[in-house]
Amino acid sequence: MGTDHIRNFSIVAHIDHGKSTLADRFLQLTGAVSERDMKEQMLDGMDLERERGITIKASAVTMKYVHEGKEYMLNLIDTPGHVDFHYEVSRALAACEGALLVVDASQGVEAQTVANAYLATEAGAEILGVINKVDLPAAQPDVVAEEIEHVLGIRKNECFAISAKTGLGVAELLDAIVTLLPPPADKANEPPAALIFDSHCDEYRGVICYVRLFAGSLRVRQRIRLMRSGRTYTISELGKFTPEMTSVDALGVGEVGYVIANIRQLADVTIGDTITDDAAPAATALPGYVPPMQMVFSDFYPGNNTDYPKLRAAFDKLTLNDASFSFVPQSSPALGFGFRCGFLGLLHMEIIQERLERENDVDVVQTAPTVSYEVVTTSGQVKRVDSPSELPDPQKIAELREPFVRLEIITTNESIGPLMKLAESRRCKLVKTDYLSPTRVMLEYKAPLAEIVYDFYDVLKGISHGYATMDYEFLAFEKSNLVRIDILVNKTAVDALSIIVHRDKAAERGRRMIIRLRKAIPRHQFEIPLQVAIGGKIIARETIKAYRKDVTAKLYGGDVTRKMKVLKRQKEGKKRMKSIGSVQIPQEAFMSVLDTGE
Amino acid sequence: MKNGVSLYVHVPFCEHKCAYCGFYSEPVDAHNVELLVDALLTELHRYELQDPIRTVYLGGGSPTCLGRQYLMQLVEALAAQAPEAEEFTVEANPGQVDADLLTALRRAGVNRLSIGAQSFIESEVRFLGRGHNVHDTKQAVHHARAAGFENISLDLIFAIPNSTMSSWKKSLAAALSHDVQHISAYALTLEGGTALQSAIAVGEIVSIDEETDRQMYDIGIETLAQAGYGQYEISNFAKPGFECRHNLRYWANEPFIGIGPSAASFYRGRRTTNIADVRAYVDGINAGTPMLVDAQVPGEIQVACETAVLNLRRMEGIDLEHFREQTGYDAAELFAGEIEEHRKAGLLKVADGHIRLTRQAFAIADRVLSDFSTV
Ligand SMILES: Nc1nc2c(ncn2[C@@H]2O[C@H](COP(=O)(O)OP(=O)(O)OP(=O)(O)O)[C@@H](O)[C@H]2O)c(=O)[nH]1
Ligand SMILES: [Mg+2]
Repeated sequence: MGTDHIRNFSIVAHIDHGKSTLADRFLQLTGAVSERDMKEQMLDGMDLERERGITIKASAVTMKYVHEGKEYMLNLIDTPGHVDFHYEVSRALAACEGALLVVDASQGVEAQTVANAYLATEAGAEILGVINKVDLPAAQPDVVAEEIEHVLGIRKNECFAISAKTGLGVAELLDAIVTLLPPPADKANEPPAALIFDSHCDEYRGVICYVRLFAGSLRVRQRIRLMRSGRTYTISELGKFTPEMTSVDALGVGEVGYVIANIRQLADVTIGDTITDDAAPAATALPGYVPPMQMVFSDFYPGNNTDYPKLRAAFDKLTLNDASFSFVPQSSPALGFGFRCGFLGLLHMEIIQERLERENDVDVVQTAPTVSYEVVTTSGQVKRVDSPSELPDPQKIAELREPFVRLEIITTNESIGPLMKLAESRRCKLVKTDYLSPTRVMLEYKAPLAEIVYDFYDVLKGISHGYATMDYEFLAFEKSNLVRIDILVNKTAVDALSIIVHRDKAAERGRRMIIRLRKAIPRHQFEIPLQVAIGGKIIARETIKAYRKDVTAKLYGGDVTRKMKVLKRQKEGKKRMKSIGSVQIPQEAFMSVLDTGE
Repeated sequence: MKNGVSLYVHVPFCEHKCAYCGFYSEPVDAHNVELLVDALLTELHRYELQDPIRTVYLGGGSPTCLGRQYLMQLVEALAAQAPEAEEFTVEANPGQVDADLLTALRRAGVNRLSIGAQSFIESEVRFLGRGHNVHDTKQAVHHARAAGFENISLDLIFAIPNSTMSSWKKSLAAALSHDVQHISAYALTLEGGTALQSAIAVGEIVSIDEETDRQMYDIGIETLAQAGYGQYEISNFAKPGFECRHNLRYWANEPFIGIGPSAASFYRGRRTTNIADVRAYVDGINAGTPMLVDAQVPGEIQVACETAVLNLRRMEGIDLEHFREQTGYDAAELFAGEIEEHRKAGLLKVADGHIRLTRQAFAIADRVLSDFSTV
């Protein structure tokens, strides 16, 4: 049958430039989804995706399209735009020959546009430039086309101007996918090699692997082997997403679909592994993926120590469908038993937090997120430290290293001044400047991850009036002059409040931390000293005054119901606190050490 | 209900609204007083009380602004309904009572008068936006005595913005000079939605700091004790035997019915609150269905928690045995963790079958009470 009739492509773009909306139009035009079943951003199926209006997980869908009398099979993968989920884009691209790079006509080329264009080029994908939202009054398709040509090297006269909202130009784009994107290589006669580019776990059917066949074919009841892990299984079901799961008897070369083979846990499959025939395997596995790097870490403790098993069960459940989130048991002298969790970024962390709260009834106290550090000890060992409290004694440290990233910022001319100042205050080194157009510029920095991963983006948005966008990519761990700030609450060091910062900023930062803590920790019956220590030396102090008066003056019959509610709320507030010695520290206090307060 | 019930009657009218008052009231002439008085009595009849009324408390608003005719009509009707009442209190606004009215009230069976003095410092009374002056208060006490009242209470407020320790002491001393039987001393409370609260929020007025508030409270307790007024609740002080029985029943979580707009009831296990609007209230009563804004039957545990919270406001605290009879729970067991925590912190003491707040806990009682509000 050959592969001439197959086209595999990903839709990639900066956040909100309209990928999922474009996918909607394709689903409609190809008749994959009937008008009646159509809803906006059809492929964003998760609750959190729909509520936040963003794509979190890539999704694949197979469509039929007739062009000049010939039926084509189009396999589309819609990808997320947020920086935390870059790895989803890489995985999707590795399964495709082509990519639609979508750019919002009113916003122009932005940081993730550039980042995703790099990813597509690296993956060897044929890129079609798509200028979307031309229906908007603020659309400037010509200016944007210039930018695309200048920055991404895609010829401006080859870009497609469309509106994913109104459908304008979408049919032409579909035709172009057929005529301009290459079909997959035809390796029908080789042993099967199917790349697992994603997976999810279904309560009833076990693990569902999303695959792209690069060679050979797969059949139901075939005995298969995962080449990297060596495990063998029997295929119980094969199918395609149309977009609902539709089973088929076989998946041929070049096709995209799913494999179910009685695999129990997500941990049993590595994304990027190759499925082959057990009896007649492929000679070599397909190139896999570099696993995504966890950028931030944070400790989660149950509000009440007896809830530890509940929290563990909750995390177990979460990892079932998100292999990029990890957790390991952790114990803190101050907070008891909990877990150290790793995330791809802050959005990823927020999503996990939200799912944890939503799907489980357990109060948690979470510490401020931190990046991980590398320590070279005096004995020559190199250790990863992703919790400030685990940093060895200063005498045992030969060298401390922190993660650096390549940071790309695209912004307007007017905000360059304030941006330069911000970057400087965050220890970022300018590497290069590139004008996208007479009014917009792209700046590349080498930046310490710890300086840009928390609030940097918000500050950046503020100084650029919302215009600036940024993207970053890990470079390496490098030596830095870092120290640990310890916080003593009522004369007791609270490990969960420690942070690692650059020495030049330590004193100032420590002072700000205790001012914020003073506001975040409720007053107690006694005075509470808050102290900042660096290398065992106290450098600053604040005091939380004791409360002196807290009593309802009048409480008679008519006030009972109302008063009981108020008192109950007061007691509820206590639940989300951790007692450290005789001091109750609320959840917000642990987080308040983070906010750098620009 | 072997202990009978208490009756609270809310008169939602005031001559004008005080700057600090969060109670529901409306200007007196805006509504038909006659309609209200009729509705109050209709509501009371609706209860078809089987249980004797032990105490009556007529409050507001200011009942004395009803005017003599309607006030007396109401009081006489209430007295007729409560022949066995051992205590019948009327709140009196200085400036709205004269010798004749007080004599008539006393004759009609009112045996306790609660006079809203608030302060004996002229500037403070004015600040609070009361319609009276210090002279009016003195007159009111004088006339009440003359009318034969032997159980008079004065309400005092401390921690009023711009007040000082010495003005509070003066106000206290002036109150003591009248040698009344009962004194309530309240710290000024900022209620949401009052004129005072918004003035403080925008910084026009500065509230008294917590430390001074606390000291004023402590001085109040000491001064009153020295003058022979025993503290029997967070804000209430009395010569022996003159504790307010009506209020003691609230803190014992005994049943009561409240009639009038915004009034609450706890009767036959049900807590209800009437609508806080005179017209809607009157319409509802006349239509045969009182309009409620809240109605619930608290569960057993909830009742136990309410009882504990209310009991702890009394110096008597929780009487463990009585508590068990009343609620079916052993308070020492039900609140074991809470008791232990606060006992260690020196805020609770457990002795001779009672759980009580310690002296130092009075000023911060809500911190302790909140832990008893739910289990
Ligand atoms: N006016 C107009 N709005 C559009 C068009 N395409 C998308 N939008 C709107 O842009 C917003 C973002 O669209 P999405 O399709 O969710 O964007 P996305 O690129 O998938 O976003 P992420 O997955 O979060 O990166 C939505 O409010 C869409 O309705 C268009 O052609 N015209
Ligand atoms: Mg999307």
